[in-house]
Order: sequence, then C-alpha cells, then structure tokens
Amino acid sequence: MPSIEVRGLRKCYGRTVAVDGLTFTAKPGEVTGFVGPNGAGKSTTMRLVLGLDSADAGQALVDGHAYRRLRHPLTHVGALLDASAIHPARRARDHLLWLVHSNGLPRRRVDEVLELVGLAPAAGRRAGGFSLGMKQRLGIAAALLGDPPVLMLDEPVNGLDPEGIVWVRRLLRSFAAEGRAVLVSSHLMSELEDTAGHVVVIGRGRLLADTSVADLLAAASGDRVDVLTSQRTEAMTVLANAGATVSASDEESLTVQGLPGERVAALLTDANIPFSELRRHRASLEEAYMELTRSSIEFGAVS
Amino acid sequence: MNLLRAEWTKLRSVNRWMLTLLAAGVLTVGFGLVAASGGRTEINQHPNFIVGPKGQPVLDDFMFVHRPLSGDGTIAVRVVDQADSHEWAGAGVIVKQSLTSGSRYALVMTTPRHGVRFRSDFDTDIPATAGLSSRWLKLSRSGGTVTGFESADGASWRELGRVAFTEGTVEIGLFVSSPPHRVVERRPGGATTTDNPTVGTAVFDNVTTSAPGRWSGSDVRGPGGYEGAPTTPGTLEERDDVLTVHGSGGIGPNPPDDDPVSAGLYGVLMGLMAIIAVSVLFVTSEYKRGMILTTLAAHPGRVRMLAAKAAVAGTAAFVVALAGSAIAFLVTQPLLRDNGFRPPAYQPLSITDPSVLRALGGTAVFVACVAVFALAVGVIMRHSAAAITTTVALVILPTILSIALPPAVSKWILQLTLTAGFALQRAKPPTNTVEPWANLEPWSALTVCVAYAATGFTIAAVLLRRRDA
Repeated sequence: MPSIEVRGLRKCYGRTVAVDGLTFTAKPGEVTGFVGPNGAGKSTTMRLVLGLDSADAGQALVDGHAYRRLRHPLTHVGALLDASAIHPARRARDHLLWLVHSNGLPRRRVDEVLELVGLAPAAGRRAGGFSLGMKQRLGIAAALLGDPPVLMLDEPVNGLDPEGIVWVRRLLRSFAAEGRAVLVSSHLMSELEDTAGHVVVIGRGRLLADTSVADLLAAASGDRVDVLTSQRTEAMTVLANAGATVSASDEESLTVQGLPGERVAALLTDANIPFSELRRHRASLEEAYMELTRSSIEFGAVS
Repeated sequence: MNLLRAEWTKLRSVNRWMLTLLAAGVLTVGFGLVAASGGRTEINQHPNFIVGPKGQPVLDDFMFVHRPLSGDGTIAVRVVDQADSHEWAGAGVIVKQSLTSGSRYALVMTTPRHGVRFRSDFDTDIPATAGLSSRWLKLSRSGGTVTGFESADGASWRELGRVAFTEGTVEIGLFVSSPPHRVVERRPGGATTTDNPTVGTAVFDNVTTSAPGRWSGSDVRGPGGYEGAPTTPGTLEERDDVLTVHGSGGIGPNPPDDDPVSAGLYGVLMGLMAIIAVSVLFVTSEYKRGMILTTLAAHPGRVRMLAAKAAVAGTAAFVVALAGSAIAFLVTQPLLRDNGFRPPAYQPLSITDPSVLRALGGTAVFVACVAVFALAVGVIMRHSAAAITTTVALVILPTILSIALPPAVSKWILQLTLTAGFALQRAKPPTNTVEPWANLEPWSALTVCVAYAATGFTIAAVLLRRRDA
C-alpha cells in the first residue's frame, strides 16, 4: 500500500489554480523527490495532504487514511513545512514537548530526537536565536517525534550549509532504508540526485512526470551516443550520411542520435576514423528536469 | 487531556506571556491600592441613615397609626385599597418597640407589585406564596414572639412566619410607607442622583385589635440630616370605622450605594488589558509565524484544539484574576476603613463572607470570559494588533459610554456589552446610582459575559473549521 496517495487533487485560491488534477504516490522504502519550479504547487499539495487546506476535488490519503481522521497524526506522518514556524521565545525542548503532549507520546522522545538531529546541546536555548540550519534540524526533529512510517519534508535543505545538506541526504536515505516512505520536495533537481529513487515532477499544478530516476534519465538520454574523436568533421559527415542527427558538444566530442552504438562504431571503423571513446549519452537529472519544466516555469527568476 | 497539556506547555514556555500574566495580577492589586487610597467617605459624620437594632444603617420612616400594647395581643385588618405610589410602598399592620426611628419591629404588609410580605428588624423578609390576592393581614404577639398571617377572606388565616420580639410595652397599629423615588441624571462629565419623596395612600377597614385605647397617628422619622431620605408628613382620616392613611418614607436596610468591595477592585480593569493581550497573542502569534500549521497538523480536530486553547487561556485568566482580586480585597479593606468606610455605615467585611466570595469569584469568571472572547477574536482576525484593539475597545468604549449617556441608554449598553461584567465586582445588592453597572443583577451580568465568550468561541470555531489554515 502506498504511504502517500494523491488522487485527482485540485485546489484553487480565488482564480489561481494551484494544484490541477494531481495524482501520484510515494511508496515505503523509497525517497520520492517532489520537484517543480517555485510556485508549481508543491507546498500547496503538502498542505492538502496534511488537511491544512481543503481540496476542491480529489483526495489525499496518508498511511491509508484521510489526514483529518487521524487521532495521533504524528505517529503516522512526520511533516516539516516551514522550519521558521516556531515561536522565537520558546526553547527548543519546549517546542517539542508540546507536540509530544498533543499526541500522547512519551516524554523521552524529546531527548531522543534532539540527540538524533544533533541539537541536544541547544535543547535549552530559545529557538529565536537559532540559525536556519538549526531550525531545519529542529523541524526535522519535530517530524520524527512520533517515529512515523511516512515523512514529508518541504525543501529541507533550503538554507543549509554543504555539511548540513550531506547530513540531510544521508538521513533521508537511512529513513528509506528503514522502510519508511519519504516525500521530499525541492525546486532544484540536483539536490535530489543520489537521494531520490523516484521523482514526481510538477509544473503549474500539473503532473509532468512520475517515474524512477533511472527511467527519467534514460528517457532524457534517448538513444544518443557520445563519441570522442580528433577527426570531428569527417565523423560528422559519415554519420550524417548514414541517417543520424549529429551535434557537436565540444571540440573533441559529438552526440549522435538515431543510430545504435554498434552501428556508429562500425561506420567509423569502416571509414578509418579514429575514436577514443564511444558511450551511451547520459543526461544529468538537472538536464532532464529542465527539459520537462521548460514550458511550465511560471516565475522567470528561479533562484 | 493531551491537548490541554500541549496548550498549557505552549503558554508556560513563553516567558513574556507568563510575566504579563503576573503583571496582570500586580496591576490588579496596584491600581486597586491607588484607587482605594484616594477613595474617601464622610458618611459616618453626615449620615443619611439611622442605626438599626443590630448596628446596621437603616431607613425607618413611615406614618404610624398606633396605640400601646402591654403583654400579648393581636391586630387584624383588611386593606381595602392601596395606591401604586412606589413598587415597594407598604400598607399593613405593625408592632414596634417604640415610636423611635430605628427601633425593633415586626410587620405584615401588602405592596403594589411584590405581594404580601412579613418583615422584621430590617433583616427578615418573608414573601407570601399566595400571590397578590390576600387583602387581610394579621399580627399576633405572644410572649417573646410575633407571628404574621395573611388571609383572602378574614376567616381562614395562613401563617407567614414567626420572629423573636421584645417584651414589655410596645406600640401596635397600622402603617403606610412609600419610599422616595430615585432619579439618576447623567450628562457628559457627571451624574447626579435625586431622591424625590412619594406619598402612599391606603384605606383600611375591619380593624380589630385586642389593645385598648384610641388610635393616634404620628410620623416615625429618622433624623433626616444631611442628604437624609426626603419625606412628606403623613395624615390619618377616620370615618365610620374606615381609616384612610397617607404616609411617606421607607422601612428597611439602607446601606450606602458605594461598595467597598468593588472600590478595591478598580485595578481589575488594568489587569484585564494585560490578560487580553496574552489571550490574543496566544493564538495570533501562531498565525504570525505559521506555527498554526504545526498545531493543526499535530491535531487535526480543530474545534477540540480551540476548546483546549480556550480552556487554558480562560483558566489562566481565572486564576490570575482570582488571586489578584483576593489580594486586592485584603490589602484595600484596611485602607478603605481608614478612609471612612467603617461602621455603622459600612459593616466590616471578611473574605469569607458569601457576598465577598461571590464578588471575587464573579470577577474572576468575568476576566476568564473576556480572555476566551479575546482568544476568539484573535482566531477570527488572525492579526495581533487588530484583535487586541478590537477587544479592548469592546470593553472600554461601552464603559465610557454607559457613564456618559442617559440611564435608559446605558441600561441597554450594559445588557449588550462586556461592561456588564463590572457589575460582578459588587458585593452589595443592585442599586440605582451613578455607576450604571451597580444597577445590574449579578446573574444577568454573568449571563452577558458567558454569552460573549460562547458566541465568540462559536464564530471562531466555525471559521477555523471552514477556512484553510
């Protein structure tokens, strides 16, 4: 059973359609990347999943239930929407303590999660004095209080230093390895490289792709082949005559589309054109993402 | 229960909120002291009352048609007619220790609007259950007790009650009273009260008494000194066993209007401002920083969450107000006593007196209701400054208006706004005087406060459920 299941979700704010017929799932044991440009509807979708806003159509189930029906939701889903949504005068420990009380969780969980996210030394400090990175850690600690099978994090690496980013990625992978479903949003595909096994790409509230990272890369790579050769011009002529579309990537390399690798090798050998390397073209995740979202970027100035 | 603990943890973990709550208590006591040290009365030097048999301030003015009675005896009469000169005008039979105002008495009387009453010694008032139909009244003195009766026909008598009375020779007879009518005039900048005399008229027949002698009529009158209750002289006409009596004045307890308990609680209004601020911020701070999302995600049952929040804010306000006003009472009473609030006009008060406990408890409930209302306004407006301003205005503006506007208008203002809550600060019975809320029954004041809290909560709950977070 998928741990987060979104079916035909639609939400309008006034005349703006924020989420438009969105359907996807996040499965246990996997980090699902939830990507799209700023304003694509990622945060709105997460608010709908958490029952914070009510959907105009469709539904979202978490752990098999509508969120608003959950009695102790923190034991089903741990969520981090906005790390700075904490009262600045409240101590980190007290912030976690009221959450623990609200869901009838044991008090010791506070110290356990503080330890886990490395905030134990700052437990008695007021959250107002925290750096953004510390707030992110506190938010992740709050999400972990109920030891939930599902985690949903909105831009968790935003504002983190490189060390923090590595820490979050490792943490997310370890949660998935424990069998939890992890949905993590980002507006930068590169942030999810090496972390997400599956990606859900949206733009302007609509689903653009719902696929494994491997398939997404393969699709973006197409049947292209990269060739490294010193006789670029000759190679281009030979391959083009054989019906391929050839583009020059840089001084020494070509990208060939429309011919399988073996045929490219055979043609070049027959024409006595030397080449030092021949491999399937591998698109970067970012490249694949740019391809998908090019038409759906609403706000030009993507940070 | 979990939710209550969660919300309490939120409240107590923000130091400045706890400090503000503490400040609310300090303001309550501090401003109470300031007001009490400035509050002064000279009523004992210039009394408008006389002292009753138990040392309390009383009013004892009426027209007395009397003859002496030594030993046991009875008097019975039919009240043929009584003019509606005042709702508490009295006509009936009375035994009185002497003709001196303030001496002991027992009486049975009819009133224009409150039926038949059996009363004695300024502190006992027993209403008849039979309604307004009885016109026959009787008193019977036997040894050290007096028994009151009423009857619809003069044949079958129903006992109203029995009280202890003095032995020896007393005066027995008929009486007519009609208390002065109070007019409160209010203009911007001040208010005056004027007591205008009224004259009661009653016609009696079938007068039977075991006391020998002839009737003589005389006014029982207090000293009527400085601001004493105004009266006009009484008259007696006797024709064919029918007695027509005109009389003026009232018989009963006559405490001064000023209430030393509420005089010590002036600081509650100041403390209330701090409590409003905390109650509003308790929820608007969550909206300001988006923490409401965490709250609602942690507990999707929004109405229950709001109920827990309201319970925590209301309880905190109740405890602070109760402690603050109890301390204010204890520290202001000695000060007020030194400033003239002392016997006989003002009887000593103890914090364990039921009327004092009711005033302190009622004040705490009022403050708790305002706290819940403020919280609700915070949920409705989702903006700290707007919600605080609105709530403060809803408490302060009607208070100012009710003092400035004519009594008829201010009565409505009181019954429709949170200002009614100030009536709960009084330990004395309602009275028509310059402070408009002094005239409101504590129960109706409480109803107004609870209605505000409940209505605010309901609107907030509906919006919270319906709106996106």
